[in-house]
Amino acid sequence: MSCQEWQNRLDAYVDEELPPQEMEAFRAHAADCTGCASAALALLEGKSATRRAGQRYVASAALRASVMASAIAETGTPSATRIQTPQSRVLSWPRWALATAALLLLAGGLFLSINRYRQPSSLAEFADLHVADLASANPVEVVSTDRHTVKPWFQGRIPFTFDIPDLQGSPFTLTGGRVTYFHQEPGAQLLFTYQRHFISAFIFRDTPQLSISGASFVDHSTSFNLQTWTQGGLRYVLVSDVNPDALRQLANLLQHPH
Amino acid sequence: MPLFDALYNFARWLARDESEAEDLVQETFAKALRGFGSFTPGTDFRAWMFRILRNTFLTSRTGLQAKLTVPLEPEVAESTGVTRETPESFALASASREALQSALAELPIVYREAILLCDVEEMKYSEIAEVLSVPIGTVMSRVARGRRLLRQTLASERVVSRGHGKSEQER
Repeated sequence: MSCQEWQNRLDAYVDEELPPQEMEAFRAHAADCTGCASAALALLEGKSATRRAGQRYVASAALRASVMASAIAETGTPSATRIQTPQSRVLSWPRWALATAALLLLAGGLFLSINRYRQPSSLAEFADLHVADLASANPVEVVSTDRHTVKPWFQGRIPFTFDIPDLQGSPFTLTGGRVTYFHQEPGAQLLFTYQRHFISAFIFRDTPQLSISGASFVDHSTSFNLQTWTQGGLRYVLVSDVNPDALRQLANLLQHPH
Repeated sequence: MPLFDALYNFARWLARDESEAEDLVQETFAKALRGFGSFTPGTDFRAWMFRILRNTFLTSRTGLQAKLTVPLEPEVAESTGVTRETPESFALASASREALQSALAELPIVYREAILLCDVEEMKYSEIAEVLSVPIGTVMSRVARGRRLLRQTLASERVVSRGHGKSEQER
């Protein structure tokens, strides 16, 4: 297949919508063609940037409560109950009980449907941030191996503070840090090295918008290891291609900075 | 209600108005509850919910106006790929979040919704086709064309802002 033909398929490639044999054939082609490889990389980064930019609006708690209340009221109205389903003809439960059951069913369906997307998706976004950062010309804004230089640099740039452990005698080296954003929340990104690998440590206020729980996670689409925990109202997320043991070791150091 | 946030975000991008988006979400959940019997277990629940919201939007005043101003689009496959390594091909990846949001908001509705479902909601083409009630080929065409329009908008804005900077320096 010619470069032009491949480039007409690039959008489907980055969306993982090509047949498996074509996905493989493009990877083989891109290994020898810097033009197509570069174009695919630009599309992938653009897709990531669009995802981050597109997650822009957050509904108010008042709307959430109002939708719940309206939904219950809606199912309880005569117009709604006029729809004769087999169940409604058979059962003679009170309307409020049917409304609640329907709402629970809907909420349950929603939860089951989206849960498989939401949790990995939120954490996978940190892998995207990590990759995008390493690909940028300036992965860190404050370049220093000194924790007493890096920590004060964040003053006035993010609305919280955190401690960085003394890494002397450990296999990790602090490279620096930068301000980053996740779901419109400012946070800190620290960059560490371990042997020849990079590890990003993301630190954000632990708000419901983060939608993250659990401790560790492997992003199977990228094979990145992720480790996450909360501490003092802050959510920490470590992302790297290092082995999970090394990630746990750094997590332990960050959890006990003094 | 985990889908609630995603539906609200989608509604805001479609309607581009807070109160209208709130009405859309309210109506979507009400319709979903009333029509829950029409949902087939085992099929894509998320696509079903997004389709209700999108159809509700299309029957709203803003939605009807948007439909009337839809540009003519080639629905057949066309050459939409990124052409080699050009400044334009990296315009999306290197744009600021604000510039990207602004360009996304300016996209014609047919491309905006396709990009949102594909890139933001990370839906598969088949799922998007279900939400938009169009063939998969049309989804592919809209996604590719939407991305190209985004790149072109961002690249041209960059040229304009550079031009402004230059003329200010010359003054």
